[in-house]
Amino acid sequence: MSQTGEIIRSRGWMAKCETPYCTRQMEAEGGCGVVGLASTVALPGRHFFESLRQMHNRGNGKGGGIAAVGLDPKQMHVSREVLDNDYLIQVAYLDANVREALEKEFLEPRYEIHARYMVDESNDPAVLKDLPVRPPQVWRYFCRARSDVLDRFIADRELRSLEKRRAEDEFVYQTSFSINLKYYASGKMTAFVMSQGRDMIIMKVVGYAEDVIRFYRMEDFTAHAWIGHQRYPTKGRVWHPGGAHPFMGLDEGLVHNGDFANYHSVSEYLAQRNVKPLFLTDTEVSVLLFDVLNRAYGYPLEYIIEALAPTTERDFHQLSEEKQKVYKAIQRAHMHGSPDGPWFFIIARNCYYEGKQQLIGITDTSMLRPQVFAMVEGDIQIGLVASEKQAIDAALRSINADHPSVPKQADVYWNARGGSHTDGGAFVFSIVPENGKKRLEVTNKFGSPVEVKLKYDRPQDLRMATALDRTHSASAIVADGSGEQAFSKFQTALPKMDADQAMAMFATAVQRGSKGGKDLDETVRFLTQVIDRKYDPGTLRRSRLTEKALEALNAIFRAQPRIGSAKDGSSLVDMENMGQIDAPPSQTAKLLIDCRGFPMEGEEGPSFAVRRAFEKGWRHAILFDAHGQRFFGCGLGQASHGMLIEAYGTPGDYLASGLAGASVIVHGNAQDQLCQIMASGRLVVHGDVGQTFMYGAKGGEAFIKGNAAGRPLINAVGKPRVVINGTCLDYLAESFMAGDPLNGGGFVILNGMGFTLNGQPVELPTPYPGGNLFSLASGGAIYVRDPKGKVTADQLNGGRFGKMTEADWNLILPYLKENEALFEIPIEGFLLTVDGERRSPSEVYRKIEAVPMKSMSKAEQELEDTGD
Amino acid sequence: MCVPEASWVPAERLKFVNRFVVERADSCISCGLCASLCPNGVHKRVEGHASILPPYNQRCIGPSCASNDYYCVRRCPTSSLSVRASETFPALGDVRWTADMVLATWRMAETGEPMPLDHPANLGACGGGFDQLHFRIPKGGSKPKDYQFETSVELNRRKTGPRVKIDIPVYGGGMSYGSVSLYTMVARAKAAQAWGTFTCTGEGGYPVELIPYKDHVITQIATGLFGVKEETIQRAPIIEFKYAQGAKPGLGGHLLWEKNTPLVAKMREAVPHTSLFSPFPFHSVYSVEDHKKHLDWISSVNPQALLSVKVSTPNDVEMVAVGSYYAGAHIVHLDGGYGGTGAAPEIAKKNIATPIEYAIPKVHRFLTNEGIREDVTLIASGGIRNALDVAKAIALGADGVVIGTAELVALGCVRCGNCESGRGCPRGIATTDPELIHQMDTEWGAKRISNLFLAWRGQWGDLLSRFDMHDLKELRGRTDLLRFDGGKEVKA
Repeated sequence: MSQTGEIIRSRGWMAKCETPYCTRQMEAEGGCGVVGLASTVALPGRHFFESLRQMHNRGNGKGGGIAAVGLDPKQMHVSREVLDNDYLIQVAYLDANVREALEKEFLEPRYEIHARYMVDESNDPAVLKDLPVRPPQVWRYFCRARSDVLDRFIADRELRSLEKRRAEDEFVYQTSFSINLKYYASGKMTAFVMSQGRDMIIMKVVGYAEDVIRFYRMEDFTAHAWIGHQRYPTKGRVWHPGGAHPFMGLDEGLVHNGDFANYHSVSEYLAQRNVKPLFLTDTEVSVLLFDVLNRAYGYPLEYIIEALAPTTERDFHQLSEEKQKVYKAIQRAHMHGSPDGPWFFIIARNCYYEGKQQLIGITDTSMLRPQVFAMVEGDIQIGLVASEKQAIDAALRSINADHPSVPKQADVYWNARGGSHTDGGAFVFSIVPENGKKRLEVTNKFGSPVEVKLKYDRPQDLRMATALDRTHSASAIVADGSGEQAFSKFQTALPKMDADQAMAMFATAVQRGSKGGKDLDETVRFLTQVIDRKYDPGTLRRSRLTEKALEALNAIFRAQPRIGSAKDGSSLVDMENMGQIDAPPSQTAKLLIDCRGFPMEGEEGPSFAVRRAFEKGWRHAILFDAHGQRFFGCGLGQASHGMLIEAYGTPGDYLASGLAGASVIVHGNAQDQLCQIMASGRLVVHGDVGQTFMYGAKGGEAFIKGNAAGRPLINAVGKPRVVINGTCLDYLAESFMAGDPLNGGGFVILNGMGFTLNGQPVELPTPYPGGNLFSLASGGAIYVRDPKGKVTADQLNGGRFGKMTEADWNLILPYLKENEALFEIPIEGFLLTVDGERRSPSEVYRKIEAVPMKSMSKAEQELEDTGD
Repeated sequence: MCVPEASWVPAERLKFVNRFVVERADSCISCGLCASLCPNGVHKRVEGHASILPPYNQRCIGPSCASNDYYCVRRCPTSSLSVRASETFPALGDVRWTADMVLATWRMAETGEPMPLDHPANLGACGGGFDQLHFRIPKGGSKPKDYQFETSVELNRRKTGPRVKIDIPVYGGGMSYGSVSLYTMVARAKAAQAWGTFTCTGEGGYPVELIPYKDHVITQIATGLFGVKEETIQRAPIIEFKYAQGAKPGLGGHLLWEKNTPLVAKMREAVPHTSLFSPFPFHSVYSVEDHKKHLDWISSVNPQALLSVKVSTPNDVEMVAVGSYYAGAHIVHLDGGYGGTGAAPEIAKKNIATPIEYAIPKVHRFLTNEGIREDVTLIASGGIRNALDVAKAIALGADGVVIGTAELVALGCVRCGNCESGRGCPRGIATTDPELIHQMDTEWGAKRISNLFLAWRGQWGDLLSRFDMHDLKELRGRTDLLRFDGGKEVKA
């Protein structure tokens, strides 16, 4: 019999056991905030604290947890040998009195226990005050199965062909099941096994995830990989953390954002394989699924991911024939176990047999949950993944305080395209040992490496990894002149610029800008270009230049007079004096809103500061040092023409939603749900935008330098006019209803390009990789730059390729010119140049339009009749 | 509260639809004997008129009257009168909205007079739902004429935010511009204003004609986001998030191409004469934390608005309800599967979701056990047809209800079920056809809906007096006052 069969059959007793508690899913939940990081240097828990805290609004304080993988033997109070090889069984005692009985019945007779101790707890009243329920006592047991007991287990369960160590894995798994069955699922709920893997722990509480770190005193506890989760159970009274994430497999912990539409089907699939969930949340089911595919089927990671998030439709046919054969077989066998989205998993695991640790992010095929991946290169390599970019940035900011070589901005950010043939919708960060040190390996689902070839000079970069201060010598670049002049001097100097010169430049900018007035305007203009523009950073590091420019900007803004005391020009406002926003001293005055202390949303949030400023007559607001605050530009009402809002840092979700007149500029990447129902006005994003960009928009103009994630412009009507220079994950302009673009309707220009690391514009392999473009659309058009005809009719579900006429070109040309002015993407030199040759617009751009209805001409006639 | 007065609002086209037909032959000599005989007022002779008025069929009790000595047919000296069952009557309505109920609703809309509590029109014949539930009304007297009672409901039961009270435990559900005519929308809004309650825009934009009634209009945000703008959000005292509709859970709103006239398309800024399908979910909301963010967004646009979350009734409806509350909703609106106009697909109406009479008590008890029942307003909808359905929903645990079809019936809907087609509505209610809509005007419509509310109020007063109660709120959760009459056969 195969190993798969043996393992599954050995669990027959588990499937048959009585579990009175397990009648149904008890705590429905859907939402959450998830975050994970993997680092070549073990990082302490406190760096994770801020990202978790900033995602409070993705949880409700009724469950939070973390998993840490790749631990330090010293802090675990065991030898390296024991840490590496022993199963680290952690039991959470909700009732401390059952401990002795549990140890006597399950642990002592079955295991050699090499170390056992209770996890340190905080008694700080400030910590306890925030916890709705005191977390359980957690005991750690470092165990190996007793040899004789294991032999008996192997014989009894007929695990003949399994390696002994793998049989021991199964022994541990089944023993923990017995413990949970007796002490938890029986309805007693007095204790449960929180984690059981090697060199990894899971800790969870009723409360917020960062409470775990505070209560179990893990601020200085270090690990190579961390994952965290803010839970949002909808049931009110949750009194124990059994249902909180992460859930354990064997050597892995999994956190999950979303919920399954087919929980019962997946449970049924598991039941057929003798796997029985005891905690009844879909997250537990997810990790059991992972474990079955991993240990019972022995699949490599790629096949596990394929079984979870199958490659479908057009993407499937893009795979090699060989791969199609394998995937088809996997899908046939496991389709019923494939969770039907929305879901996004982050898994941290210790690959015991391969000697590495992994952080994995997997999205469902339809990409229904938000997800951002990021990577930091350098002497410390860090891979990150989260629900929101702001959580990644919060972690980096905190790490930067301890390790200045790690910039506050990741070197690259990107999204996964679910179930795709390009990246498979998953990325894997592996920490692999190399010459006594660790190295970070980043691969996609298919195992293809994701390489970021940064060519900066490390010693130079380290010299820039200090705070800006006044000791730097003055720099001629920004000493005088306009921002544009300064930027062109900067660009000229860059190839030879060293760290000291760069630092001097930023320090000079701070000094000059702090003076206010025109100096402020010019230095801000200069620094903004350093952040926004694409250029060859020479020997310097691009993410460091952005970091320093942002640091300089923050310093300049904070040096301006506070609201009320400014005579004219700019005024600074922060959380404390938000109420003092009154009429502006002059028409051109800028309101500088320091987002540092502001909450994420609500009437105390920065969006209300903007709103108040607008009502009082301000027409230019700058939000700086944003760290995920939401709703910038919302609530200004129907006539906000003439208002300009700029955002620096990481502005949060729903930015510019409902916009009707105002302009919003984001200097950097933006997050999800931008410009919902936008009516008019303008958005400029010098980076990427997230999910459901311009959902239900009615109009307005938007210029996006980078990519849009899933479902941009879905259900948009009216006359939105959008330039997306990058591409989209999928479902661009589904149900687009934006009239006739040549007659006042809306359109999207999709340029399908990106930039090289030295700032050169470059064509993407295909302008649109997804299988659904302009689906079910009845109006509007997409102008896609596709000189090589990569987009094919099978991507269009209801649309068709139309004729790209001169009228079309005349329609889009002003937008491309504006795009060129904003982002330096040349029409002549790049967009219309294909393989070095100038082409005509109709050879480069293709028009995708709706198939007109027969009734249309009649309808238009009627419209005229009704006087419109 | 100031109770609006009844007005006499007949419907020209409806008076020909009755249970019985009384016909008077040309041989009539206008002697006036029948008028003096009939206690129901079918016949009327006006002094000075050459001939007696045509029979008022609606008041006739039918051929069974033959057992009375005042039976006009027998007593007519010229044998000019005949009485027979109407051919149209059996064709009217369906098991849920029986012909009796349709006629009774028309009558209430015409007169404002309540139906007796034991009238058969208070019950449908579907053999399920509210038709199996009856109040255990104690034997004995009905109400004294001046019986005082209270019917208002507070919609914001949280500690903070504006207080919003409706005078009757009923407000109007979302029916979009496009699904119904502008006259219908304005008539509903006017009636809502008269009764200190609300109507809802539905998902088709906020016509400017509704602005004069803005304090009584709920802006709906549904999955297609049609017509939703900051101004429509900022204008409304209540914002309703339509996550699902009980009549067709798992489906978004849909307006088939025939009804998407140029004017409708203009309002929605879409392409005329294309079918407009709203997505089944909000594409920005796939989980409860997205849901909270979604509510937070609307609060950031209009912090004064109450938030209502309209959901259908899946098996775990109580989890949805509690999740909505924690996300910031003031009103949890459960929409059961008995409602929906003719445009909702039959397969969805009849086969999906938990029946509302199960969902209400389930959620009511769950919220009570969670300790948050008094902080949230629970509204039920989906097939609430008459005053007793309202009272039953309250007795099951709701604070109030949302109605839709009942208002349309008051406007003369005959329940023909052709709502999805452009020129299908014979009464010009569920259409935007520029000719058909002129069958009604808003003043007339508003009065008929207002009359219906007045009649309902009378019935609630009657019911309360039987239980010796003075406030409909006392009835909430009193399932003990209901009798379940299970196992009745469904009449085809």
